[in-house]
Amino acid sequence: MQSENLLVVETEKKKKRKSMKQFAFIGPHLVLFLIFILIPTIYGIYASFTQWNLIGEPEWVGLSNFKTLLFDKSSTFHFQLRNGLKNTLLFVGLTVPLQILIPLTVAVALENKKVKFKSLFQAIFYIPGLISVSAAAIIWLLIFNPRLGPVNNLLSSATVWMVNQPNAWAIIVFMSLWGAIGGNLIIYRSAISGVSADLYESADIDGAGPVRKFFSITLPSIRFPLFYTVVMSTAGAFNVYAQPLMITNGGPEQSTHVMMMYIRQLAFGTGESVAGMASAMSVLLGLVIVSISVFQFIVMYRNSKG
Amino acid sequence: MRKISITKYLAYFFLVTSCVVWVFPVLFGFFTSFKAQGDIMTVGFSMLPANWVIQNYISVLTNTSSAPIVQWFLNSLVISGSHTFLVVLIVSLAAFGYTRIDFKGKETLFFTILALSMFPAVVNIIPSYKIVEALGWVNSPLAVIVPGLGGVGNVFLVRQFMLGIPKEFDESARMDGASDFTIYFKIILPLVKPVLIVTGLFSFIGSWNDFLWPTIVLNDVNKLTITAGLQLLQDLYGGYAMTGELMASAIIAMIPTVLLFLFAQKYFIESMNLNAGVKG
Amino acid sequence: MNRFKKYLLTGIASLVLVTLSGCSNPNTITFWNPLTGDDGAYMDNMVEAYNETDPEFPLEAVISPDMYTKIYTVMNSGEGVPDLTLIHADRVPGFVRLGMLESIDPLMKNNTDLNADNYLEQAWVPGTVDGTQYTIPLDIHGSAMYYNVDMLEKYGVSNFLDDDVVTFEEILSLKGKLDEGQYAINNALIEWTTLANVVNRGGNIEQDGKPTIDTPEMKEVVSQLRQLAEAGLITPNGEDGYAIFQGGDVLFSTDGTWTSTAHDSVETLNWGVTNTYAFEPGTFNNRSSAHLFSMLESEERTDEKEQGIADFLNYVRENSMEWAKAGQIVASRDVFEDPEYEQYPQSFFTSSEEEKESLHIFEYEHYGYVEQALATVLVDMIYGNIEIEDGLVQAQRQVEDLVAQGGAGEVEAAEVAE
Repeated sequence: MQSENLLVVETEKKKKRKSMKQFAFIGPHLVLFLIFILIPTIYGIYASFTQWNLIGEPEWVGLSNFKTLLFDKSSTFHFQLRNGLKNTLLFVGLTVPLQILIPLTVAVALENKKVKFKSLFQAIFYIPGLISVSAAAIIWLLIFNPRLGPVNNLLSSATVWMVNQPNAWAIIVFMSLWGAIGGNLIIYRSAISGVSADLYESADIDGAGPVRKFFSITLPSIRFPLFYTVVMSTAGAFNVYAQPLMITNGGPEQSTHVMMMYIRQLAFGTGESVAGMASAMSVLLGLVIVSISVFQFIVMYRNSKG
Repeated sequence: MRKISITKYLAYFFLVTSCVVWVFPVLFGFFTSFKAQGDIMTVGFSMLPANWVIQNYISVLTNTSSAPIVQWFLNSLVISGSHTFLVVLIVSLAAFGYTRIDFKGKETLFFTILALSMFPAVVNIIPSYKIVEALGWVNSPLAVIVPGLGGVGNVFLVRQFMLGIPKEFDESARMDGASDFTIYFKIILPLVKPVLIVTGLFSFIGSWNDFLWPTIVLNDVNKLTITAGLQLLQDLYGGYAMTGELMASAIIAMIPTVLLFLFAQKYFIESMNLNAGVKG
Repeated sequence: MNRFKKYLLTGIASLVLVTLSGCSNPNTITFWNPLTGDDGAYMDNMVEAYNETDPEFPLEAVISPDMYTKIYTVMNSGEGVPDLTLIHADRVPGFVRLGMLESIDPLMKNNTDLNADNYLEQAWVPGTVDGTQYTIPLDIHGSAMYYNVDMLEKYGVSNFLDDDVVTFEEILSLKGKLDEGQYAINNALIEWTTLANVVNRGGNIEQDGKPTIDTPEMKEVVSQLRQLAEAGLITPNGEDGYAIFQGGDVLFSTDGTWTSTAHDSVETLNWGVTNTYAFEPGTFNNRSSAHLFSMLESEERTDEKEQGIADFLNYVRENSMEWAKAGQIVASRDVFEDPEYEQYPQSFFTSSEEEKESLHIFEYEHYGYVEQALATVLVDMIYGNIEIEDGLVQAQRQVEDLVAQGGAGEVEAAEVAE
């Protein structure tokens, strides 16, 4: 809502110019978006109204897939949607806040002028994100391996970590954070180092402490990058797939079986593809992601307008 | 003075503890790449190899018939390099368009495409392949370079940074008769260079680590990218049978991204001075 | 700005480089296979050796870990369909029903050596659908059970192997006798051994095309395994049974035939291979799959090229000893009857008629759904996290729901039924 008001103000101020010059700038991206993102997405949405095995032509079944998913309580697909969504939301709720807070804290700590080896610290946090997911999963499985791994050997314990909750979630979440915070850290670092030193100096003169400076200078100054990372981290977390697949394969009792695992199993699983139902599930997941992002936008815009 | 040193020690304490936790798996993976299979499977934990072996690296690197790693490396460099260059170009142009040029419905347009891009891409692989196929790009590097350019996330990021640059900047230039292109090229681009470097870095790494799409559109083993190629050498979700080799190949494949990161890191730490630049 | 121009030039230069892609020989036979890891290397050796004979139609092997996704993609667009494809046995019925496979019969007519007699029957049959042959087999691969010779001696139970079948009863007799941290069996590939024992019990996973998972036979098998788990005889849930076997703490490891090469690399392990456990010595099955050469439906494949494919298949028939190195049960009679083959542990499974017949490949069209649904609940049932009855009802329902979704032709029937 707010943004539209802004728009109105802007357009009125500028008078209406019927120029097409914006296409010189947004055109190339828009064309690529249309061809490689929009058309495939529309096709995916269309597929959600069909029964389709990926080989033949999709057969139109109207809202049938959605009816089954949402209302047919006895259906496997209904169970998968409910369970997958619940688990995915849990993952999002656990990881996203930490995916923001940890790198933000690190970035602030690295801003301390007295801290040395900044590049080294930053590299240590970033490098896990460069390791391929399959290799990363093997590393973590080895670390928590009951017999071969460091954790049990150092604790002299015989716990089997992956088959009990909350351990299974803890490991999945931790492994995800391990690989994911580097990106956000870099964005925060770049944003914070861009905050004018004058602001901090005048705050020093006013006798503001570090906490006060963080909340009244740093945080407002990096509002937009922060916003970006919240939205993108959330959308990314909703697409979680590889970590639970490789660490727990969805267990125990399907308690870490996330949406994308069900969706991919249906579309590209061991049997004939059930791509129509898979598409319907991914459309529903998409709607959840978009609604949450819109909600985040509204909250952020409100806050930024004070 | 005392206050400063307390914060300093707090900062150090936090950094060092979390770094130890973060670096441990990396070192563990690194040392594992120098362990023999029997060493890895020995009950009881030791961080360092009992005997350092480079067999894992040799076996990954010498498999030249089915796995021309050097060729894959070059392919990946060309593919990820071109992709990154085009991303930076296209994204900065688009972000400029969405922030610096007034046109009707630009916010609506932008947020619509952003929302649309958030739908998870699952069966999209079929229509995407059809499009790439219709363009005649199957088995050509273009099939891996171009489709990712339509992503909206990067435009969002760069747009956020451009919004932070005061309008007075380009308005004064415009009064001096500068064209939009001149403003884009001479004023805005230098100011957002740091975020473009970040974008470029992310794009390069994303493109470097992608494996599903390249295996779909590239058939010729000599045209594969390194991540997709190495995926062939290991079962995707394989057990511990080839742990040492998996670690070795992961480390080989990481070299360029690590180097690029070390190179780029210098830039966004030293030159990320958005607001200072604005003041100057 | 200079630097920017430099980047621009580099970018353009690399783009130009990129577009200079070579063109390929129209006579090349494109051969897709899902053989990752070492398997892929052995296959590449065979392909390379064949190409060195300078055939008119040389092969280009394309390995893909996501081969089936890739197949769906190209079959849907009809472009880029490979000439030759190596698929798994359980895919054949579905692919045939969807009209995705070309018959091999014409090839067999012109190449009389490509016939059922020259291959292991258990590998040949899955390629026959309604009297038409769709595939030529490369191998059978499936469940095997490895045993630790030293541990068998330690516990004085080497006699378990006398009749080549270890029974549940024998395993149960070890209850309370094993040292702490040692186990009788592990849970690797336990879906497969479960399904094989359903067959041992006279059950099946289908009846008249309808999935049957929630059956008395299945319940009996899972209960039996649960009993073993409760007795502490199976490696704990979540532990890597394969690694524990290599570490020398499991008597029997149910795993794939192909694992033998990895076990060989562990110097301290004194191992052998036998059938997977069963209820009684007289009735045993080893759940198997097979790698089968097939031709996906394509209009572009010429008769000449098909002859080139036949030449390659004949070459493989005569020269696939290399494939034995991968630990697979080679399907070609030339190989499995060759004395040289006896050095490979998997030759055990072709050593007698009884053994050959134990190689059980499920030919149910929806086998993939069954295995997936069972895998979702099996471990939880065995380790007592959920009740067996509930798990089986859930798995049964899952497969029924999936089957109801499949195949466009079946849609109308389902709607009428409603």
